[in-house]
Amino acid sequence: MQMNDKAQTTMDVVHRGLARRYRRERLFRRLGLTAVLVSIGFLALLFASIVANGWTAFQQTEILLDIDFAADHFDVDNLARANYSALVKQGLRQLFPDVRGRKDRRRLYRLVSSGAAFLLQKMVMQDTSLIGTRQRVWLPADDEVDMLIKGHISRVGPESQRRLSDRQIAWIDHLTALGRLKKRFNTTFFTAGDSREPELAGIRGAMTGSLLTMLVTLLLSFPMGVAAAVYLEEFAPRTWWTDLIEVNINNLAAVPSIVFGLLGLAFFLDVLGLPRSAPLVGGMVLSLMTLPTIIIASRASLKSVPPSIREAALGIGASRMQVIVHHVLPLAMPGMMTGTIIGMAQALGETAPLLMIGMVAFIVDVPSTLTDPATVLPVQIYLWADAPERAFVERTAAAIMVLLAFLICMNGLAVFLRRRFERRW
Amino acid sequence: MDAAQAVLKISDMPFPAVDEQQGTVEGAGPAPRADNRDTVGEPFVEDPRMTCRDVNVYYGEKHAIRDVSIDIAHNEVLAMIGPSGCGKSTFLRCLNRMNDTVDTCRVSGRILLDGLDIYGRLVDVVPLRARVGMVFQKPNPFPKSIYDNIAYGPRIHGLAESRSELDGIVENSLKKAGLWQEVHDRLDQPGTGLSGGQQQRLCIARAIAVQPEVILMDEPCSALDPIATATVEDLIAELREQYTIVIVTHNMQQAARVSRRTAYFHLGALIEVGPTDRIFTNPRHRLTEDYITGRFG
Amino acid sequence: MLRKDFCVAVALLGAAVAVPPAVAARGRDYISIVGSSTVYPFATTVAEQFGKTTRFKTPKIESTGSGGGMKLFCAGVGIETPDITNASRRIKQSEYANCRKNGVDRITEVRIGYDGIVLANSKEAPRMRLSRKDIFLALAAEVPVSGKSGRLVPNPYRTWKDVDPALPDTRIEVLGPPPTSGTRDAFVELAMQGGCSTFDWIKALKTTDKSRFKAICHTIREDGAYIEAGENDNLIVQKLEANPRAVGIFGFSFLDQNGDRIQGSLVDGEEPSFDNIASGRYPVSRPLYFYVKDAHVGVIPGMREYIAEFTSDRAWGEDGYLADKGLIPMPAGERRKYAADAAALKPLVLE
Repeated sequence: MQMNDKAQTTMDVVHRGLARRYRRERLFRRLGLTAVLVSIGFLALLFASIVANGWTAFQQTEILLDIDFAADHFDVDNLARANYSALVKQGLRQLFPDVRGRKDRRRLYRLVSSGAAFLLQKMVMQDTSLIGTRQRVWLPADDEVDMLIKGHISRVGPESQRRLSDRQIAWIDHLTALGRLKKRFNTTFFTAGDSREPELAGIRGAMTGSLLTMLVTLLLSFPMGVAAAVYLEEFAPRTWWTDLIEVNINNLAAVPSIVFGLLGLAFFLDVLGLPRSAPLVGGMVLSLMTLPTIIIASRASLKSVPPSIREAALGIGASRMQVIVHHVLPLAMPGMMTGTIIGMAQALGETAPLLMIGMVAFIVDVPSTLTDPATVLPVQIYLWADAPERAFVERTAAAIMVLLAFLICMNGLAVFLRRRFERRW
Repeated sequence: MDAAQAVLKISDMPFPAVDEQQGTVEGAGPAPRADNRDTVGEPFVEDPRMTCRDVNVYYGEKHAIRDVSIDIAHNEVLAMIGPSGCGKSTFLRCLNRMNDTVDTCRVSGRILLDGLDIYGRLVDVVPLRARVGMVFQKPNPFPKSIYDNIAYGPRIHGLAESRSELDGIVENSLKKAGLWQEVHDRLDQPGTGLSGGQQQRLCIARAIAVQPEVILMDEPCSALDPIATATVEDLIAELREQYTIVIVTHNMQQAARVSRRTAYFHLGALIEVGPTDRIFTNPRHRLTEDYITGRFG
Repeated sequence: MLRKDFCVAVALLGAAVAVPPAVAARGRDYISIVGSSTVYPFATTVAEQFGKTTRFKTPKIESTGSGGGMKLFCAGVGIETPDITNASRRIKQSEYANCRKNGVDRITEVRIGYDGIVLANSKEAPRMRLSRKDIFLALAAEVPVSGKSGRLVPNPYRTWKDVDPALPDTRIEVLGPPPTSGTRDAFVELAMQGGCSTFDWIKALKTTDKSRFKAICHTIREDGAYIEAGENDNLIVQKLEANPRAVGIFGFSFLDQNGDRIQGSLVDGEEPSFDNIASGRYPVSRPLYFYVKDAHVGVIPGMREYIAEFTSDRAWGEDGYLADKGLIPMPAGERRKYAADAAALKPLVLE
């Protein structure tokens, strides 16, 4: 009886507390879920706003003109000297024969991008058989036209405050009705370097610059980072000296990236005399920045290799180096690669250190070597974001989308490598 | 191997004389009191493979092994038993210098393998560990194929001249470990995919592959089920024909089944050594008796 | 296998380190330009045209700010230093001295046109009609007490109406560039200083106590009425659209590109229009320059041709492509003079 009573009260106490325990658990779960939802929400908002702003940049308004490559325009020995813009103007005049007067004609000519002439030049230089023929050519429209077609600038309001006059809008409408003005896929955006004309600007230069810079960063920071991690983790004795190094590496990982830029300027440019604006120096500066990340990640993954594997190898007489090279490194490699890729992704998004070494620059030509002047994707975004032309707004967002795609690819690669090479024991 | 043998010749030192005082311990009449930490029984043998004298081990400030002296004979199975934390594993790890990997660990005294002081200045641990192999508590095959697990040791020591010779070593080792029948058709599959007992036998085969003289086993069956344990014990019984085996175990039945001699450790001291059947039937020391009768441990 | 990878990596690393000195020793085949972010849109347009229409490579243009550009430009002579620097103000005496000290003793100054600094607000709000005095009183950290000479109080004005009863009754909320910006320097010098000089006693300080004069005229309030909006003028335009009560400060080209969304405030009765800035009637405008390192002409290919392109009428003329980008051209006479000086590489002499 007494025992029964006692058991009863114990269970009562447990039951009384139970409701509160479950309530706490529910609360904690809900808090966690809310946190996840909020962050997903912000991410979705960011993506949505970028995509909404940027997707239109993948299309470009183009105008179909009949270009008469009459032979008398060209001097076969010097094709570059021909007046290609006259060809464009002639094509436009044919469509609007009743436009007279110098001022009106100038306005008419403005509908087509100033880059159209260079496009024709390139066509002729590539294929001289065009001379003497008549061709229908899609030429990029001016960015103002593009913005109007995409609805980014309004066609109402006083004419004086609009970038396009009433007559120009009428011409555009006429061209649209003829089917000679259309939005087409914007290949220029992926094949061209930077330009001051939005309709001619592309990200290939910045992308190539990013790739070259990342290549240098990878080649420098990965072997050095892994070697440093292996030394510190496996060989270095635990003394105040190695403690100091460890503290410093952790500190370096938190140093603002601009500091590495200053170091790059002072050492790589001024002391070593390396060229400004070069992916080589950019990569060197960024590898300074990623090194601590790689070392820390590599040490963590070295630590996570189970001691039983080391013991097994030591137990049959492997030397320390053999234990590391044959057993520990292969097991730690996925973690090291993940750390490296995360460090690289960080470096891919950096602009501040590159500012100091001259990579924040207007560069039209696509770089082809490590010492050519180059810029990188985030710098290109930064420069476009500051450009006054309205059409650069969507291109900025589009460039951000490309950068995000790059980052997603890199992080995807990190996940893939981890899955592929991770070994269970 | 060659290098180690060369070293052996250089440091061919005289066999150390058995300590007089310890010699008198043997055959003492009345059972020693419980606080007596001197070794009783028969710690020494004639023509030992390994000789340990006054071994002390410190982990930093902690004195883990106190004045242990014992001989290990040729082709015998010596079981080391004792309660948790008594230092039996620590002592085992001194026998192939696995304790070297622990920074704070300090070993004093002498441990001789075939007359060579393994802690001598000229001794290289790499060939030493090839001569004194080790099998661990938890099966720890490399995350490689079964073949590569066995072939790893011979490869790094350069024991095989050709691929066919290496194949021979692998087959032979697996046969000795009683695993050949089970795995001969899947040598290219990962060793980690085997069952626990198979993994442990794989580890034993891996140790055998470098032709060691002594095999140290640190509770090799503690992670295995009874059936796998029985298989491994059978294997140990076969191996003792060719190898000297030192086995640490928690399981007194196992010690009784596989070993010829048994050493009982207590709080870092070697309490009693003797033939296994004598230790289990007629212990001379109170602590040994308490332990094997289950009064503690 | 891993060891092989390491060897390859080490070899590549070695190669990467070994290459640069060889490259650095080689000449540079493109023009390197640094300097003002205000001139950047114009210089880049010229550079692009130049690259497309000549056999030379497109120049590389870094946006470093006027001061930063001068520092790099004056660091010395040689291919590792820039050939041209852009500036949204004239070279300073100290910068000129630094140049000479480093062996850069022959510099050609080219004035390229004007830039107006505008105050603008959203089209949803009424257009502001300001005087420079209003601007000063609305934005200075300390303002004079009316009628009393020599006394200053922390800026008490909260609304535009407080400053001038004719102005609307909205809170003073001005988005402008940070102190690191050249636009801010010019704004302070032209608008603020112009406004505070309307007080006679402050104007008198200019000759007697120059540092006090500068402190009064150039210090912008920090109580939240002036909001530093970063260097990105596009951002300011977007914020103005979202907040019709706010007024923004930025370069004319941004007003020019966004005329359908924002309107420029009248300053001293003048509208910030192309013609008003060109004729000098709009008071808050400044000349823009670039400086050429004469020692590099003939060494770096294309220098003469680049200068010729920049100073051609198809670039900086009234109907030139730079006017499309928002550069206010100089009168024809000035253009002719500067084009001739530039072609002759007439060295700059600062007295």
